[in-house]
Amino acid sequence: MSPELDSVATAFVGSAALTSMFVVLAMIGTLNHYHRPIIPVLGALMVMLSCTYLLAWADGTAVDTLTLRMTMSEGVFAMLKLLPFVFLILTALLLEASLRKRPEDPLLALLESESGSE
Amino acid sequence: MSLWATQVWLGLSIAVIGISMHRTGPAFRRHPFGTPVALLGLAVMLIRVEEPPSPESEVVSAAVDTAFWAIPALLGLSLVLSGAPLYWRSRPLPLLAGWALIAAGWLQYYSTSSPSVADALDAGGSLIGILLSITVFVLCVRTAERMTPQEPETEGLDEKERKYVASVLRRHLEVDDEP
Repeated sequence: MSPELDSVATAFVGSAALTSMFVVLAMIGTLNHYHRPIIPVLGALMVMLSCTYLLAWADGTAVDTLTLRMTMSEGVFAMLKLLPFVFLILTALLLEASLRKRPEDPLLALLESESGSE
Repeated sequence: MSLWATQVWLGLSIAVIGISMHRTGPAFRRHPFGTPVALLGLAVMLIRVEEPPSPESEVVSAAVDTAFWAIPALLGLSLVLSGAPLYWRSRPLPLLAGWALIAAGWLQYYSTSSPSVADALDAGGSLIGILLSITVFVLCVRTAERMTPQEPETEGLDEKERKYVASVLRRHLEVDDEP
């Protein structure tokens, strides 16, 4: 595998594992009486472990806590590389929002005309 | 795993749990604790006595480097969002301050980073990974909801409840409570 493709595959596996860890943590943070978290947590753990196994298999190492930490770290690096692109898209969207004229609100116009007639 | 490596992952986990608690919304009792818990997580992650081992040291270093442009960017984006004419009239002061912070964020980013095609490819791989993980989560939630037995139909309001609801509606519509 070429180094570029290897890097993309590592970013893919790492961010999938890290997102799954965030899903598990988000479910802990939002746990409530109506939650049924067992199946989603099992799904997220399965993604995390599969990604760790894939990375260990690609590197030829054992599946242990070091590989899990490496996978999560690769996820952090990959997501940090994604942030500038997210920032670029948000900048473009907010530029459009800042320049546009506020649409006329028929309800507010009705209110203003009623208060003017009194 | 060393104590300092554990501290980094524990801090990140607490921060994510805090953000999730905050995102539950103001109606939930745990909502006010969200921001302090997230800040506690960041403190646990960043404040330490010894340097964590590899790969955690690189994780912390990359996160701190990103924070230098991401924090002004985040503040700027929220200021522009509050100043732009989205739901109310345009507010020039937050709008201008927001754009100044966004410009500072971009300047900081370009002065510290040199984006390449390889970075864009990695970002693409990362996006697909995130989408895959979210898809698995959505499918799991759908499965869990399908397995949940349906609740019986709720009974109608009795006379006392009907009077109470009517009273609340009257008060909210600013009508005299006495008919």
